[in-house]
Amino acid sequence: MDAIPAIRVVDIRKSFGTLEVLRGVSFDVHRGNVVSMIGASGSGKSTLLRCINRLETPSAGEVYIDGEPMGAVEGRDRPLSEINRMRRDLGMVFQQFNLWPHMTVLGNVIEAPIRVLGMSRKAAAALGEECLARVYLSEKAREYPARLSGGQQQRVAIARALAMRPKAMLFDEPTSSLDPELTDEVLTVMRELAKAGTTMIVVTHEMGFARDVSHRVLFLHNGQIEEEGSPAQVFGNPKSDRCRQFLSKHLQ
Amino acid sequence: MGNWERLVWNQRGVLLQGLMVTVEVCLIAFVLAVLGGLALCLVRMYMRPLKPLAVLLTEFFRATPIFVQLMWVTYVWPEIFGWPNSFFTAGWVALGLQSSGYLAETFRAGIEAVPRGHREAGYSVGMSPVLVFGRIVLPQSLLTVAPSIVNQFTVIVKSSTLVSVITVQDLMFQALKLVNVWYEPIEILTATAGIYIGFIFLVSTAGKMLADMLRQRYGLAAA
Repeated sequence: MDAIPAIRVVDIRKSFGTLEVLRGVSFDVHRGNVVSMIGASGSGKSTLLRCINRLETPSAGEVYIDGEPMGAVEGRDRPLSEINRMRRDLGMVFQQFNLWPHMTVLGNVIEAPIRVLGMSRKAAAALGEECLARVYLSEKAREYPARLSGGQQQRVAIARALAMRPKAMLFDEPTSSLDPELTDEVLTVMRELAKAGTTMIVVTHEMGFARDVSHRVLFLHNGQIEEEGSPAQVFGNPKSDRCRQFLSKHLQ
Repeated sequence: MGNWERLVWNQRGVLLQGLMVTVEVCLIAFVLAVLGGLALCLVRMYMRPLKPLAVLLTEFFRATPIFVQLMWVTYVWPEIFGWPNSFFTAGWVALGLQSSGYLAETFRAGIEAVPRGHREAGYSVGMSPVLVFGRIVLPQSLLTVAPSIVNQFTVIVKSSTLVSVITVQDLMFQALKLVNVWYEPIEILTATAGIYIGFIFLVSTAGKMLADMLRQRYGLAAA
């Protein structure tokens, strides 16, 4: 393990009004590792993920990307433009895909490489084709998202995130809004990313995926990490009662 | 049938000339309405200090009867601003301003209809708020409201008949002139109504086709 983790989360807290959603969460993700976050709805998993790339601003705590603090620079709040720059390093995949409907599939993938990284259209298109090939959707490049199935849309969303060559990928329940027969194609792509050494944090209800692919599993409860460890440990011999209850419900 | 030929067919040149003026006044008013509506909407949503002014103007344009607004622009503006200096200009300005109030609200609905997640997807690939607005929010909302914008054009066409009152020589003006010459309102006014119906039908059909295309191609439902 290298000294500086790809992502270090230190005592993240988040409140919405009086509701405390995250009550101090800390963990490291090392380069090339996959960390799965499991837990009941409302346990704070998604909020935690959104705090990591600062779609939500944490109430307290800090996130470090390759040792660089996300929220502060030289002791002051990091300006929004700087946060935008750091967000490029974290590819985000949403439950609702969130493809841009007025752009083609390829257009979705190459938008940020062109507008944010300043790549030429030609270079970006080559990169885009390469990313679409990784999710097995090369032949859909000229289609609009509305013509694609949910599973295909989600794979395009993965390609769009990959096109920024992020240091890590964040998945926020990527298969939760898919029909069961479409989840496999997305999980297959994610397994391949993991095998290729992509650093990933995955919020998921797919226990099979979490068990097979993760290096570490975090079980969140009430805004805190209730249980963490290797998949074998968490799934095979959970220490906490709540985790055991949760797993017995989800591992039919 | 003799009356139709004498009063309508033989006068088709005059009516057609009037129709051209109607089209002209409506098109210019439409451009003003779209640009003005977009400006009002953007100021209202994104320029906090000027928001009350934009709200005031939007509500004023929407709440005033078009006839009052027409009179106001035609007879009050020249006294205050020294402009407009022709009835034709006053006509499209009044029509355009009223529709800009309605379109400002249409644009706002379109912008608010863009799912939050679409903006977040932009932020998460490092796009700035300006980029997200210009590349994701605005194009998508313009597409969403395009059919409504086309429909607003039919409203302008209908309201435009009032500019005949300030002697703009549109279709309605020419029709009334013919009625006053021949004292035969039945055929002339019926034919005029028919022309308006045909014109508006064409425009609203175009709007429907546009909405269908947007739904099929982009999966966007009209706002």
